Amino acid sequence: MAKLNILVVEDDALSRKVMAAELKAHAVEFAETAAAARKKLAGGRYDVAFLDLELGPKDDCSGLTLIAPAVARRAYVVVMSGHDSEETVEKAYELGCHDFYSKGLVGESVARVLARFTRHKDLPETEKLFTNRFVTEDPETRAAVLDALKYASSDLPLLILGPSGTGKTSLARVLHEQSGRAGAFVAVNCAAYTEDLLEAELFGYRRGAFTGADGQRKGRLLEADGGTLFLDEIGAMSLSMQSKLLKAIEEKSFYPLGSDKPESSSFRVMSATLEDMPAMVQAGRLRFDFFQRLHGKTVALKPLSRRPADVTALVAHFTRGGRRLSFAAEAKERLLAHPWPGNIRELKRFVDLVTAGHEGRISGEAVELLLVQARAESPKPGGAALSEEQYRYAREHGLSALVDRIVDAAVARCLAENAGKKTKVLAELKVSTRLLYSSLERAGRGGL
Amino acid sequence: MTDEALRKLVHDVNSKCSSLKGAAALLKDAAPAERMELLRLMAEQAKALAAALDRFPRLSGG
Repeated sequence: MAKLNILVVEDDALSRKVMAAELKAHAVEFAETAAAARKKLAGGRYDVAFLDLELGPKDDCSGLTLIAPAVARRAYVVVMSGHDSEETVEKAYELGCHDFYSKGLVGESVARVLARFTRHKDLPETEKLFTNRFVTEDPETRAAVLDALKYASSDLPLLILGPSGTGKTSLARVLHEQSGRAGAFVAVNCAAYTEDLLEAELFGYRRGAFTGADGQRKGRLLEADGGTLFLDEIGAMSLSMQSKLLKAIEEKSFYPLGSDKPESSSFRVMSATLEDMPAMVQAGRLRFDFFQRLHGKTVALKPLSRRPADVTALVAHFTRGGRRLSFAAEAKERLLAHPWPGNIRELKRFVDLVTAGHEGRISGEAVELLLVQARAESPKPGGAALSEEQYRYAREHGLSALVDRIVDAAVARCLAENAGKKTKVLAELKVSTRLLYSSLERAGRGGL
Repeated sequence: MTDEALRKLVHDVNSKCSSLKGAAALLKDAAPAERMELLRLMAEQAKALAAALDRFPRLSGG
């Protein structure tokens, strides 16, 4: 292997000694703190950057903040992990890290990481994209993504269609990364907010704009200045909100709530939905002019059941840097025959269950049992059930406001999925008429 | 707090034991001065690990 320039960001002196010995054939520089690492990244050129996430005894994963600058300097970014939480691992990949080095894992070594780097380096750019940033081996999906990439650097709005869990947000992020825009990628899930809250979230607010607005807050539109605003579940947005947002997109200017001074922001809009947008226009749930503004270029993602080649590719992707899984022939058949109604999200849950509870070769029977669990298992309390953003919201506005917000989001989504039929919502969400109507009242849809 | 403290402990045990193992593997071929330095750092690491284990019941609340 040719001599590589390597940066190791590690606060622990003994680990630095060990890394120095393991990497002695290469030109290695060390940084003990995030600040020192940033300085080195700004001035140097590294083929590989090994990043420890916790830099210091009381550090809260400041190594994560180094991923973006290291990726921007075109380094192969390897996060060194002792035993990081699932959220941290996902966050690291989301931020663009290429690989994990699981310290202490049997069969894992620095040499293996460098071998993976060599393989990665030799891959053509499109292969890197499809094996790392948007994992797919499906020829049709690859063609759709490559076609969308041709428009990545234009200002044309992009609309991503596809069932839940097919990778719409990941694709939007990839398209933003390839757009050359210097600004941030700002994602907003429209179904997670009531109308008032969505307005405050998007446009921001000034102190006293509404009860509880004790300070001012920058909106997501302003955060996306020079970057991309990704609106997920766009179908959940009310007609009046569509109208306000359309004006802001067209004029590149808007008023934060409670402010008489306009803010300007130039952002590219990407949106996603699982709904049939032309049908929504026909049903009067989507403004035609808003629809026209959103669907400059449309990309459709197929469900996982129609991308069978992606099942094994995604399993390998989800277990990167961890234990390699080995499936018996019958187990593979079952995996490929499974319809994956929850798509990639369900497959990810399945992989988590397998890696947590199975050693050795995985039998067909074990796969069958885990598939049932992956489908039926509800979110873990304190884990996926409460996101960081929800927790912060509860602390800021009180727990009952958060509960209302969750209820309203579930009602809005269920209504949208059932073409506005309230009886369906009552049955599917198993809620009382009173609760449904108070939610509609809050969302300003009492007359629906 | 318990979950977070436990996660941190598991993280520390894994990473510290891993570097201790890595350093132990270097001892055989290390020059005398380097070997002394490695042993000093290993002892510090082991003490830090023992301290983290000792602290855990207080951090986790029992």
